[in-house]
Amino acid sequence: MPEEFIYASSGYLAQCEGVMPPKGVYAHIAGIDLVQGRDKEWYILEDNLRVPSGASYPMIARELCRRSSPLTFQKTHIEDNRNYAELLRKTMDYVNTGGHTVILTPGRYNSAYFEHSYLAEKTGAHLVTGSELLVENDHLYFIDYSGRKEPVGAVYRRISDEYLDPMNFYEGSLIGIPHLYDIFRKGNVALLNAPGNGVADDKGIYYFVPKMIKYYLGEEPILHNAPTYLPLYKEDMDYVLEHFDDLVLKDVAEAGGYGVQFGNKMTRQEKEDFIALLKREPRRFIAQEVIDFLDIDIFENGECVPRKADLRAFVLMGEEPMVWKSGLTRFSRNPDSFIVNSSQGGGFKDTWVLSR
Amino acid sequence: MGIISVENTDRLFWLGRYSERVYTTIKLFAESFDTMIDMDELGSLDGFCRRLEIPNIYTSGADFVGRYCFDPEDPNSIYSNLTRAYDNCIVLREEIGSDTISYIQLAMYEMNRARISESPLIELQHVLDDILAFWGIVDDEIDSENVRNIIKVGKRVERLDLYARLHMSREELKREVDRLSGRIWRTCLKYRQSYLDELNRLIDAPRIDYTAIVQKTEMLLEE
Repeated sequence: MPEEFIYASSGYLAQCEGVMPPKGVYAHIAGIDLVQGRDKEWYILEDNLRVPSGASYPMIARELCRRSSPLTFQKTHIEDNRNYAELLRKTMDYVNTGGHTVILTPGRYNSAYFEHSYLAEKTGAHLVTGSELLVENDHLYFIDYSGRKEPVGAVYRRISDEYLDPMNFYEGSLIGIPHLYDIFRKGNVALLNAPGNGVADDKGIYYFVPKMIKYYLGEEPILHNAPTYLPLYKEDMDYVLEHFDDLVLKDVAEAGGYGVQFGNKMTRQEKEDFIALLKREPRRFIAQEVIDFLDIDIFENGECVPRKADLRAFVLMGEEPMVWKSGLTRFSRNPDSFIVNSSQGGGFKDTWVLSR
Repeated sequence: MGIISVENTDRLFWLGRYSERVYTTIKLFAESFDTMIDMDELGSLDGFCRRLEIPNIYTSGADFVGRYCFDPEDPNSIYSNLTRAYDNCIVLREEIGSDTISYIQLAMYEMNRARISESPLIELQHVLDDILAFWGIVDDEIDSENVRNIIKVGKRVERLDLYARLHMSREELKREVDRLSGRIWRTCLKYRQSYLDELNRLIDAPRIDYTAIVQKTEMLLEE
């Protein structure tokens, strides 16, 4: 991988250079987005290693499905997915440096607040905001009602890197905890996931993951990436320009379905503008073949209709890697769209992993 | 006692207060509205508002039902009080649990149904039912005695406050103060014992000073 690819990534944080998190775990919770093509092959669309969200929704969906259709679960061998909180707790406990475990939320107006509070309830962790935590004498404390300082050993943070600590990252952050990163660097608290993972989330880096697997593990990847091109390379740029209408273009620094454009959906003018931008900033984009992924049926306005869907699989890293036998199935509500993200109107379903 | 933040302690207390306020004011509203059927409508309204120390902005019995019960813009409406209970409970999931929260959510749902119903007084009964179920599940589901007791202290403080404003009987006031006294010391809340003693004295006095009871109740907890 070219070195400049790392340093040019918008997720690169120089402050994280050379820092080893407790127990050496960087990506405690990984959300890997997959789709199944019409050829029945599964493809990895992207890796989410910063703060992947969505595990709580299938948990809720399963609870409701079991209530509304108990016979389905009696007659079909569906893996029980109600152990996510247990897996998450194990993950947090494994890296805890001594003290309470907390889930750090930006507050109730964050779109994922339900998930933060639900996971706190189910794991028994304390849900906190930045103002309830304090760094003192190189340790992190939770201030309780009586003013007592309770040590905190693990923070499952649901705020992004730049807002974590105004003394080390974005100085205007009001939701972070001053000096939190200093004590993380000293190994006195675990942060899940470790700051700096934005580099690995970069869609440009995704291109290199199969090569990394071969290089570090000496193995062939079991799951394939969607065929991806890096316009930074001349050969790939030529291919992208030649097959522009067959490709989907993605801004490497965006997430949540934003910065995604389909070549064949652009007007002539939009296409010209985009190609000019692509030539000016080739590192900013990747191009992928549009995978014609399978539809699933959803129930809308009283009828079953097919919609595009993907699956976010959750892999947790405690003492050993744990794959949750479920996941977040997201679907598009729009019949003409491939965008499944909830922030863009997508829905979700319970995800059944059959045990036979 | 498990650890609990200042913010959550405050929210638990106010969850107790607002849910009780909704419960008692719905009951009171139903009684008062029933009285209005047989009496001078505007005169009854005036008495009701005076007792609750809220401005009488209502022009008729129908206006009263619509605005006092369901107007989200009126800070004194039952709807606004239920919204405040909801706002407090929705940020307490890890303390009280999703099942407990769901009864306040249900009450909110029923309140919205009642708002558009042709017979709101009948529909409000469902809100009362949900609040009662909420109190039941608080006892049944919340493991932390401290958390349970803070909510209940909020409930007792609110009830005592409302009963004093409504000039309820000595026996009823006495019962509420006894319940509050038996509960508050079991929480992490900081309170003024001297005010609690004073409340007992005020209720036992030959002539009950209701205003003083309201004042002492409101200032019972230390800031």
